[in-house]
Amino acid sequence: MRKVALVPLALALAFAFAQRYFSEEELKRIQTGGKAYAEVLANPRPDQALCALHRNRLPGDLLPKFLEEQRALIKYPTSGRLMGDWKRGGAIFNNLQKANCFSCHFGSPVHLGGDVGPSLEKYGLKRGQSEVVQRYTYEVIYNSWAYFPCSVMYRFGAQGLLTPEEIADVVAYLLDPESDFNTRPAVGSK
Amino acid sequence: MRKAVGVGLAVLLVGLGLAQGDPREEAKRQKELLLQTSGVLPTELIVAQGEELFRRKGPSGKTLEACDFGLGKGVLEGVAVRLPRYFLDTGKVEDLDGRIVTCMTRVQGYKPEEVKRSEVVALAFYIASKSTGKAIQVRLLFPEERELYALGEKLFWARSGPRDIGCATCHVSYVGKRAGVLSYADVLGKDSSWTHWPAYRYSNDQAWTMQDRIRACYGNLGHPQPALYSVPILALEIFMAYQNRGAQVEEWPAFVR
Repeated sequence: MRKVALVPLALALAFAFAQRYFSEEELKRIQTGGKAYAEVLANPRPDQALCALHRNRLPGDLLPKFLEEQRALIKYPTSGRLMGDWKRGGAIFNNLQKANCFSCHFGSPVHLGGDVGPSLEKYGLKRGQSEVVQRYTYEVIYNSWAYFPCSVMYRFGAQGLLTPEEIADVVAYLLDPESDFNTRPAVGSK
Repeated sequence: MRKAVGVGLAVLLVGLGLAQGDPREEAKRQKELLLQTSGVLPTELIVAQGEELFRRKGPSGKTLEACDFGLGKGVLEGVAVRLPRYFLDTGKVEDLDGRIVTCMTRVQGYKPEEVKRSEVVALAFYIASKSTGKAIQVRLLFPEERELYALGEKLFWARSGPRDIGCATCHVSYVGKRAGVLSYADVLGKDSSWTHWPAYRYSNDQAWTMQDRIRACYGNLGHPQPALYSVPILALEIFMAYQNRGAQVEEWPAFVR
């Protein structure tokens, strides 16, 4: 009887260890890197560990649950408005220390953009400002992994890098037809 | 007005630099330019400084010639392409930086706190210069080497911190794509990035070994950096070096952007 009771416990433990990316022995070695470094690496979020374990390509059978969990992390501005102030959004988009969007995405009228992410040139003029587009844009910025699991793109809202209001400002910067992003030419555009 | 023209010119030059694309070609051009104007390269100066330090007597009265960098005492030819490796005398895997520190403390008698980073880098430049033209020959013979390799591979694929960063996320998934000025190198593949360090960076006048380069990768993305000479750096190094085995060292120390 006792043995039977131990089985679920053993399973639970095995599961807990399976979720760990680094072994105890490896974590000890990582500690030589210093306290701040070791703390970050020793405490990956379960979703980070999952991406690392599968080398950023999740198997299909894990996807539905993963996407559902990522979606559940998304919160919205209390005002309910997904488009905020495009001027404030521009300051966030074009700031290296803040969101640094331009480093990977082309389309900024302020900085030459990179090509790690898709070009966003004249995004609002191409996509329009419908509710669906607003929501999609907001959600991708809030939590890119809800659409692109394990992507390199920062999960700005889910990881607390930007507030819901700040993300709404960036959405406005991208979508508002009056925004510099849509009225001025992108740096490097032909 | 003049200033405006200057700024305009600078922007134009930066634009041209970007348009030229290949950063390695651009580095070669900059190197030529520097050689023409000053007659000597910063890499040569640092190598010369390293050689001087190599022959300097430590508190024990010994120079670094009394140290074994893996192929016997005083042998420098080709030692750097075999590092990191396991050393029987310390019972540890050491890279070039780490072995220099070991030699300065154990053989030359310096206290650990007396070992200056700038001296370690200069020595690394000098010792690495003796491996120019050779092929990377890192091997995984000892269990400790294999364990560190495995840890390095895991660290390379890890995702961590509030920005979910990881080496592979850019240097595998986005090779050739550009975020900022340079495109991501294929560090495990065709770019053989292991052979690019130690190097002098002309864009900000810095002499770096791979240890500094790895720390900058983390730091640039706002992630806490692993300490110099720490195991995670060593693990990433042996992983990358082994992945690049067989790659020829064009020039050590290298001259990069």
